[in-house]
Amino acid sequence: MSKYHNFMQRPLSRREMLGICKGGFGSLAFMSMFGVLPFGCSRPKNIASDSSLYLGPHYMPKAKNVIFLYMDGGVSQVDSFDPKPRLAKENGEDPKKKFKVDATQFDNVGKILKSPWEFKQYGECGMPVSELFPHIATCVDDIALIRSMVSNFPEHTNANYFLHTGSGIQGRPSMGSWMTYGLGSENKNIPGYIVLDGGLIPPGGLDNFKNGFLPASYQASILRAGAEPVANIRPKEAIQNLQEEKLQFIKRLDDTFLGKMGEVDAVESAISNYELAYNMQSSIPELTEFSEESPVTKKLYGMDSDDPHTRGYAAQCLLARRLVERGVRFIELTCPKVKADRWDQHSNLKDGHERNAHAVDQPIAGLLKDLKSRGLLEETLVVWTGEFGRTPFAQGSDGRDHNPSAFSMWMAGAGIKGGTIFGRTDDYGYRVIENEVTIHDLHATIMHLLGINHEHLTFRFGGRDMRLTDVHGHVIKDILA
Amino acid sequence: MTFFGFRKVSVFICLFGVLCSCGGPQQFLEPLPDTVDFNFHVRPILVQNCYLCHGPDSSGRKAELRLDIFEGATAELEDGGYAIVPGKPSKSQLVHRINHKDDDQVMPPPETNHKLSEREKALLEKWIDQGAEWKDHWAFLKPEISDPNAAALNIDAYIDARIEEKGLVKSPLANKNALIRRLSYILTGLPPSPNAIQNFIADTSENAYENLVDHYLNSPAYGERWARHWMDLIRYAETKGHEFDYEITGAWKYRDYLIRAFNDDIPYNQLVKEHLAGDLLDLPRYNEKTGTLESHLGTAFYAMGEGTHSPVDIQKDEADRIDNIIDVTSKTFLGLTVSCARCHDHKFDPILTADYYSLYGVIQSTRFSPLSVDHSYLKENTHQEIQELKKYIRKTVAEKWEGEDLGMEKLLVKDDNPSIKAYATQNTRYNVLGDFGHTGLDGWKSDGLAFGEQTTLGNPLIQGISGELKSLDEGKVSSKFYDTGIFGVLRSPNFVLDSDFIGVRARGAKSTIRIIIDNFQLIQNPIYGNLTQKINEPNWKNHVFNVAPWKGHKAYIEILPGGYSSHSYELPIDAYVEAQYAISYDTEWPSEIKKKEESIANKMNLATLDISSKQIKTLNNLLQQKRLPSQFPELRPIVDSINKLALKLKSNSFIYGVSDGFAVNSPIFNRGNHQEPSEDSIPQGFLSALPLGKVPFKSQGSGRLELADAILSSDNPLTARVMVNRIWHYLFGKGIVETVDNFGLQGKLPSHPELLDYLAVKFKTEGWSIKSSIKHIVLSETFKRSTSKDKGNIQKDADNLYLACFPVRRLEAEAFRDGLLATSESLDSTLYGPPVATYLTDFMQGRGRPSKSGPLNGDNRRSIYLEVRRNFLEPMMTTFDRPIPFSTFGKRDVTNVPSQSLIIMNNPFVAKRAEIMAQKLLAQGELSFEDRIEWIYVRAFSRKPTIDELGKATEFIEMLKNMEHQQETEMDEELMIWKEYCHSIFNLKEFLYLI
Repeated sequence: MSKYHNFMQRPLSRREMLGICKGGFGSLAFMSMFGVLPFGCSRPKNIASDSSLYLGPHYMPKAKNVIFLYMDGGVSQVDSFDPKPRLAKENGEDPKKKFKVDATQFDNVGKILKSPWEFKQYGECGMPVSELFPHIATCVDDIALIRSMVSNFPEHTNANYFLHTGSGIQGRPSMGSWMTYGLGSENKNIPGYIVLDGGLIPPGGLDNFKNGFLPASYQASILRAGAEPVANIRPKEAIQNLQEEKLQFIKRLDDTFLGKMGEVDAVESAISNYELAYNMQSSIPELTEFSEESPVTKKLYGMDSDDPHTRGYAAQCLLARRLVERGVRFIELTCPKVKADRWDQHSNLKDGHERNAHAVDQPIAGLLKDLKSRGLLEETLVVWTGEFGRTPFAQGSDGRDHNPSAFSMWMAGAGIKGGTIFGRTDDYGYRVIENEVTIHDLHATIMHLLGINHEHLTFRFGGRDMRLTDVHGHVIKDILA
Repeated sequence: MTFFGFRKVSVFICLFGVLCSCGGPQQFLEPLPDTVDFNFHVRPILVQNCYLCHGPDSSGRKAELRLDIFEGATAELEDGGYAIVPGKPSKSQLVHRINHKDDDQVMPPPETNHKLSEREKALLEKWIDQGAEWKDHWAFLKPEISDPNAAALNIDAYIDARIEEKGLVKSPLANKNALIRRLSYILTGLPPSPNAIQNFIADTSENAYENLVDHYLNSPAYGERWARHWMDLIRYAETKGHEFDYEITGAWKYRDYLIRAFNDDIPYNQLVKEHLAGDLLDLPRYNEKTGTLESHLGTAFYAMGEGTHSPVDIQKDEADRIDNIIDVTSKTFLGLTVSCARCHDHKFDPILTADYYSLYGVIQSTRFSPLSVDHSYLKENTHQEIQELKKYIRKTVAEKWEGEDLGMEKLLVKDDNPSIKAYATQNTRYNVLGDFGHTGLDGWKSDGLAFGEQTTLGNPLIQGISGELKSLDEGKVSSKFYDTGIFGVLRSPNFVLDSDFIGVRARGAKSTIRIIIDNFQLIQNPIYGNLTQKINEPNWKNHVFNVAPWKGHKAYIEILPGGYSSHSYELPIDAYVEAQYAISYDTEWPSEIKKKEESIANKMNLATLDISSKQIKTLNNLLQQKRLPSQFPELRPIVDSINKLALKLKSNSFIYGVSDGFAVNSPIFNRGNHQEPSEDSIPQGFLSALPLGKVPFKSQGSGRLELADAILSSDNPLTARVMVNRIWHYLFGKGIVETVDNFGLQGKLPSHPELLDYLAVKFKTEGWSIKSSIKHIVLSETFKRSTSKDKGNIQKDADNLYLACFPVRRLEAEAFRDGLLATSESLDSTLYGPPVATYLTDFMQGRGRPSKSGPLNGDNRRSIYLEVRRNFLEPMMTTFDRPIPFSTFGKRDVTNVPSQSLIIMNNPFVAKRAEIMAQKLLAQGELSFEDRIEWIYVRAFSRKPTIDELGKATEFIEMLKNMEHQQETEMDEELMIWKEYCHSIFNLKEFLYLI
């Protein structure tokens, strides 16, 4: 222990001192002026020089953290949260005789296809939910459902980039990067933006979670199940304490080097970075140490399920709660690798959607309930969405193609008016006819709940002050508490 | 012109603004300049605070007032008065409004979150008082050396002048150890070898340093280092990203081309030309050693973008692709952000939406294409030779027939059938898109050698063995014009799809015909699968393409031997394709196609058998009736030679680049939306605010050559400045203009404008040599100064803008990894070649993941040779800030995150280097302890250890020995100890940083 302490004891730098004095919500606004580090980041140099563009929370945030449950592949709205009786009536008829059919990804337009699942009303609000989600259905009074989502892209990759970065092409910073850029992290020893890889990295790859033109400090850290949850997190020294010895030796020589050079901020921060890295080595593996969780809690999430995918996703959800407890700003969960691939049922809709739903339904409900019982739901925004919806007509005979013109998503928790249904689609669930919500609107709303004005969080790149919402986006006021 | 440092101003304003607002004569921390300069003092204020509403973009302009031009600022306002009355601040509404107490009146309006500081207001007032002199944006003025006769024309004089002016103290020169490490890493990306260090230290001659500079500039590692810089600019990647991360054919050959070009110091203007129009040069550049064609390889940069395989909106896909190319091209070569003008006129720079769409047309007329990398001077000569021989055959045949009575006069009667394009029969309406029954290619474009320059019409078909002339060939296009396996592509002109089907009558082996709609290349299922067809039958067959869903789109037909496998082009040795004609039609293939007729050839053409298809038929009839001599034994050796020579034309190495299409002018897309095109098209052209910008291009093709000429015009104020600034940036870690990719109004002002101009003018007048420019700079004292900072300077120049000392720099991702390899003496310095497959960790998942991981050690090759897969980027590279390849990154971030420390601490690659280094150390035989430490220090830090460091090393090693005794490990104890020591050395900041 003495060695450990020895390594840890380093006088605070001027910058850290300042940071601690001002304290609190370690926002970049602060960093940009005084150089305090959010999770060990050096300050980006090309922040818009206009200091009146205030970075950091612009007003009292409702949410401190976001858990983003990504339903990769596109859940069918008419089979989950947007019941359409007309589909049953006109099942098997030619959709082209009913309405204008847009070009689709697979160009294989079949007949109108009724939902294989029944809907029932739940909760005090009476929100209809299909048989696919019996557990989530028990939480509807905490949920604000949006049935009028649209995307600009009918292809997975573009739509994934669009949902994650506000642009359909590769290279823009992902929303988690923007949030940590704006707000920093509350935990010095855990990155502020974490992706829990449940087995499926969405099409478009890790670029969905990258920092784009923001400094690399804001990219997601990928957490995986297993002995090494984060890349390079485990010391490889064969002997106990050897790493500490080495770090001490390194520190001594580094200090001499720094002393010789005078004050060099970059080198100084690089040195203090080792401290953070060292701490992460213990704080990260501790996250996945579930022994302190009660059997009741575990059961709530479905960790005792017969379905291994349910168990896997349950662990991810539980981990998400633990990350929230530790002040991680933005957490995204990717889908488990069930036998039927992601929610992308171009064929075999019934089997595929059921497998996917079974894997995530109980864990998600467990997460909502667990957060609520611990009082964490008040400060945590839970977002559930795919990248687009699916067609009300079949692709081939028993699948559904991509549909960017309408889909359902929901949010729960901090600042959200539970039991709300917002927006409306046509009788087929094919197009939005009321209160259209764009991805930009969704981003603006998430940012709003975090206390950020989406028009004011900018980063100068390529001659423009870039925003997550580009030149678009309106906060969806109707779903706010 | 007097220039002032500006960067600190805004900081002072936020910190001290309060102090200044207490009335009376204004006192500012930095006093107002004697002469207020528009470019350096006034415009930055206007850009930041006013131009969003009063700038060049008319769409968002308020009150009809524009403050970006003199005429606008001094024009009468809507409600009377003038914003600016030169010389009369009190009569200037601008002054009135910026000082207004009323929130409704004050400018800028409070809701914009912009607020002028007192100093800014004072500057504006003083400038108006002094006459409000207007100047063009500094970067748009041609660089000039203000006083060419001044004795003090060198870098240090410019730098020292500012140092003196600011009252800074210069640091002494760096010691030789620091200097050689700095120079070696910066010029070659590798640490100096122990030998080089020893020699340099020992060499006390005057030229020692200059010789060292030459040594590094001439080392092949120089090209590897500087090619990688360039690759950041053009978003270099070897795959296309999107869903399945398909390979970009031969991308790495472009990387090798760059390495050669930098090592051969190809002049920058040539390099630019090769990038923009390397396929169109009158004087192509060939490799001096191998004779292969170099210049067209530069065009691969166009094709380095992302690629979507099944976009539902194909036109939007094209628009995004072109936008990316315009973005990269304008930033890279001009330091301008032209793609800001996609939806509206640029908000700050004088770049119009019309400018954007004039460039759009240029790119739209450019066709992506595989290029033959083994195309060479030799091939061209061989091709010439074959053509001569073929001509000779025709001539021989014609001469022998000349004496015969063929009734040729009758044949030579002029055919009065006019040439007609479209016909309608009872059932089917059709258009002939290409008729190859005649001599010419019917306006189609033949690239490469395969198809020759005309159809096969009239080719004497002579049996090589007997010398017997069987017949004259009928008209068709053929990639077997000389032989199979020869590269070439035949493409139609653009046409608008107006029928349900396109038909091509073709035959061949292992070849392809594609319909290219809106330049879309990644043709496959779903959606586009039908647009590509394999041609793999020896008999003529009608190939039908259903294009009904894309009526109204522009398209062209592409006929090419070989084809794409997972979108990577391949050409089997026996591949060929031939076609008779191409049509578009509705319902069914027309039963009879009426061909176009040509006017009959005159007698002169008979000698080359260059006559109409009708006449060929007649001659063939005569031949069959034995009424013409058919025995040509004398041609046997000629035919034989042709066959042998043709073998030399075969190609098997390709790269994805571009080829010229037919001129397309683009309409303006309203607010960037391709579904709302303007009625009129914008002629292809260059940026209107720059020299040559107002003249539309005359090219019948893409106009890329004219674009290159405009960019390289001696009057272009940007090109040379942007490049010398990049060189400066790579040498000092910061450009004279810090925003290296943006010289526009929102870019940073140059810290040393005269120096920048001096370097730019010198660069141009001295032949655009990058190496000379580098040499010139690194020989300056400024470059050689030590990093130690004078304490007094910290207050005056905290960011070291004026370079009183050399800036401390972190090694880039590649330099760090390569440094580890070199230090541990395990670097494989092989140049060039296919990339080493990416090492895949468990964290790298998703669609398109290669089935096999590459080696952890990257085969010990330099990082530039590691594969760049867009969706599986090397984590070590990105963690140390190698940019994500989507746009131009002339300036990398230097972030500081724990994942970097974790890599050095725990990544097995790093630990393995330490082990290898320890092995090499122990293989040195009996060295004393001190010698061992020195052996390591020289390799890691280019210097000997100090006594103190020796002491610390001793303690550490002792400690390790004691630890060892407690445990049993498989590794040899001594090796283990030294491994841990070396690993610790790699973790030192002195390793990661350059001083």
